[in-house]
Amino acid sequence: MVAFIVLGALLLAAGVGVVTLRQPVHAALSLVGGILALAAMYVTLEAHFLAAIQVIVYAGAVMVLFLFVIMLLNVGSTPTRSLPWLKPVAWVTGLLAVAGVAAVVFMVQRPLPELEVVQAALRGGNADAIGESLFSDYLLAFHLVGVLLLVGILGAVALVQQAAPETRAVATRTATPDGEGAEPRPVLAGEES
Amino acid sequence: MTDLVRWAALAPFLALAGAVINGLFGRSLRGNAAGVVASLAVAAGFVLSALAFLGVREVGAVRVDLGDFLVAGDFTLGLGFHLDQLSVLMMLIITGVGLLIHVYSIGYMQGDDGFSRYFAKLNLFVAAMLVLVMADSYPLMFVGWEGVGVCSFLLISFWYEDLANANAGRKAFIVNRVGDVGFLLAMFLTFRAFGTLDVQAVNAAAPGFAYGAPVLTGIGLLFLVAAAGKSAQLPLHTWLPDAMAGPTPVSALIHAATMVTAGVYLIARTGGVFANAPDAAATVVWVAVLTALMAAIVAVGQTDIKKILAWSTISQVGFMVAAVGAGAYWAGIFHVLTHAFFKALLFLGAGSVIHALGGEQDVRKMGGLGRKMRTTGVTALIGTLAIAGVPFLSGYFSKDAILGALLSSGPLGGYGAEALFGLLMVTAGLTAFYMFRWYYLVFAGEPRSKAEFERAHESPAVMTVPLVILAVGSVVIGYLGLPAFLAPNWLQGWLAPVSAEVDLAHLSTSAEWLLLLGSVAVAAIGLGLGYWVYAVGGGALARRFAATPLANASRGAFGFDALYRVLFTGPGEAGAAGIAALDRDVVDRGVSGSAGLIPLLGRLLVRLQSGYVRAYAFAMLLGAAALVLLVALIGVFA
Amino acid sequence: MVPTEYYVALSAVLFALGCIGVLTRRSAIMLFLSVELMLNAANLAIVAFARQWSAAGAQHALGGQTAVFIVLAIAAAEVAVGLGILVAIFRNRVSTDVDLLSEVRA
Repeated sequence: MVAFIVLGALLLAAGVGVVTLRQPVHAALSLVGGILALAAMYVTLEAHFLAAIQVIVYAGAVMVLFLFVIMLLNVGSTPTRSLPWLKPVAWVTGLLAVAGVAAVVFMVQRPLPELEVVQAALRGGNADAIGESLFSDYLLAFHLVGVLLLVGILGAVALVQQAAPETRAVATRTATPDGEGAEPRPVLAGEES
Repeated sequence: MTDLVRWAALAPFLALAGAVINGLFGRSLRGNAAGVVASLAVAAGFVLSALAFLGVREVGAVRVDLGDFLVAGDFTLGLGFHLDQLSVLMMLIITGVGLLIHVYSIGYMQGDDGFSRYFAKLNLFVAAMLVLVMADSYPLMFVGWEGVGVCSFLLISFWYEDLANANAGRKAFIVNRVGDVGFLLAMFLTFRAFGTLDVQAVNAAAPGFAYGAPVLTGIGLLFLVAAAGKSAQLPLHTWLPDAMAGPTPVSALIHAATMVTAGVYLIARTGGVFANAPDAAATVVWVAVLTALMAAIVAVGQTDIKKILAWSTISQVGFMVAAVGAGAYWAGIFHVLTHAFFKALLFLGAGSVIHALGGEQDVRKMGGLGRKMRTTGVTALIGTLAIAGVPFLSGYFSKDAILGALLSSGPLGGYGAEALFGLLMVTAGLTAFYMFRWYYLVFAGEPRSKAEFERAHESPAVMTVPLVILAVGSVVIGYLGLPAFLAPNWLQGWLAPVSAEVDLAHLSTSAEWLLLLGSVAVAAIGLGLGYWVYAVGGGALARRFAATPLANASRGAFGFDALYRVLFTGPGEAGAAGIAALDRDVVDRGVSGSAGLIPLLGRLLVRLQSGYVRAYAFAMLLGAAALVLLVALIGVFA
Repeated sequence: MVPTEYYVALSAVLFALGCIGVLTRRSAIMLFLSVELMLNAANLAIVAFARQWSAAGAQHALGGQTAVFIVLAIAAAEVAVGLGILVAIFRNRVSTDVDLLSEVRA
């Protein structure tokens, strides 16, 4: 219980930080903290493998990527308002939603199974347990996720490629040695032909 | 023999076929073909009517069933024709005079754009009128009744490009409609009282009611309203003078010889009811006599060659209605017969004049035309003398019969028969007076307009031959109804089987002779007075009295049109304008206003499409939250 | 052990915070961060429920955790592609302001 309270507080703080901090790097780092706290929370829920994966994939890869992009794009702090009504409305709606969900959740209370039962079923949420489930019951999902990842990779590469035409043109311009290229050369200001 | 009569049932359908042929294909028929087709249809009808006449003479009344029209529970309304002495006689008049007028029209309407349309409508009229007189039940009679009303409207506004003509047709139709309401109400009352609408059955059952029973009086009065509408009696007479806007042959056929006599026919057919409802009968006679007198006064002051004849028709129909109201059905029908001949003759003669003068209708511009239009002039003179009641011509005998009927009618006893008689005698004198004026101003004396006189010429044979035939008829036909005390009265005997039982006293022989001579005297006085006023000194006396109140009232037709305008048409038009304004401002605005709601709604909704992703995201969030809430509450997963 | 409801309530709070972030933030990157927060909140709820279902058997319980595993993978792929798109957009326009990116106007 103590662990839950502590970790819960950390998570809340991280969430609020993501939402309210102005500097993007600060917000990203806040989220990293939250992810780590979440990983710890997974451990309390007998999902050890997931906790590890959470740290490795999320904190280690995804957030790093985020920070890379933030620094690459040199994103500044948020500029002027254009939908002023949205902020208060969003907060109110959010709070109402939370209240509603909490009320509903606490209305339907089921007794938790015994710790022994949980540990027996989950087997600590270890890699072999997850792997067994993944490769037998959810094999199709596993394969589809693989395809999804492939598509994601290709998409990312393609997105990057689109930006390339200028660089390719620059490359061909400087790379014709004999003047045998039949393609018309774009004339740039100040260039001698 | 019975079969011979049954063939007559074809007559209206032949006329209808003629109307359809001319209506659909008339435009492609060349020359006078449309007129010939129409005339042939009517001629065939005439032949059938003649055969039916011979047949009925042998075997009496014949029923021709056309099938059941309406079957509702116990009640069956069958359509059928009832051909008896009266209907066959009317059929002969309709088809005979109709045939002559059709032939005349071929000449009169020559060159008109609507040549085939005219004949289609004329044939349609003949068909409807035949149905009217052949019907065995009131509803079928009403079909014919309405049919002739429609055709009258169509033909009055024949030259509809001129708004005045269209208005005249509309006026005729609407005034007729008032009468039609009377007919309908009478039918309702009849059905309620008698349980049947068969004419013969109603007449047979009428004596079963108490003498003068209110229901019979009510039926009688309602039928009087109907007759007043169709036959142009007070107060529904205002349409007939306006109806002169139609082609003259139409005026001759419809508004002289046949349609206006439909009211007379109706009352004669319902004789059983009237014979047992003396109040209603007396009302009929009083209305008719007053109409006759008023119309005769008005005729004196008219200046249009056709309007004079129109008012004369109103007056003469008053004579007929008075006769049938008094119970002397044969006398009324007799006058129908004679009037058909001489009034058609007079109208066709007027048409001949109008045709010759290229459309001129004002008698003040005519005069002396008899010298240039010999046949027309002579036949018109014969017609004038006939209508004036000159002895030995047909009008004399029929008028005499009517006047005698008034004196001898039993049911009319306590209702002022002598006064009525006196008024009708005065009217007879006035008839001679104004008809003399008509003839003199048009055909005799000095021409008042050189141009018109030069233009006048005799009409072609196709128009003058019917005039001659009608003139001969005007002379001869009267001998069918000679005064009974002198010679056998064929007509009275012929119509006896279909006339209701009415107490008609026999006048003493001396009274009869007095009546005969009195009629002659009245006619002579009328003609003489006419000569004195209009012929002597070029009409000096006429001019002297032109400004008197009576003369003004005569010219203005006693102001009925103005009265009706104030009472009915004015408020009616105001009401219509009000409703039109309501429709325009409230209904139309409301509809287009509600159409304006849509753009308004659109403008409101368009704000949702701000283009801001965050706003869209918010909307999605709200929707998803609502869905989840709904599911949680309903417990779908429970 | 802590009852499942607490975890779910916490997850709800985090999810709501993530939504608020999505709606409130103007920079596309920050928007993405909030989306990641939402995903994590959902994962937390699933894992909590997975523990709850262990009474029904190992298959159901582990199925929950497997689901979270797959969601992680999806989130990673999504971030990669999303950031790629973001970079592509940023090359053409100077700002990453989401409001200014809108071309679907009323």
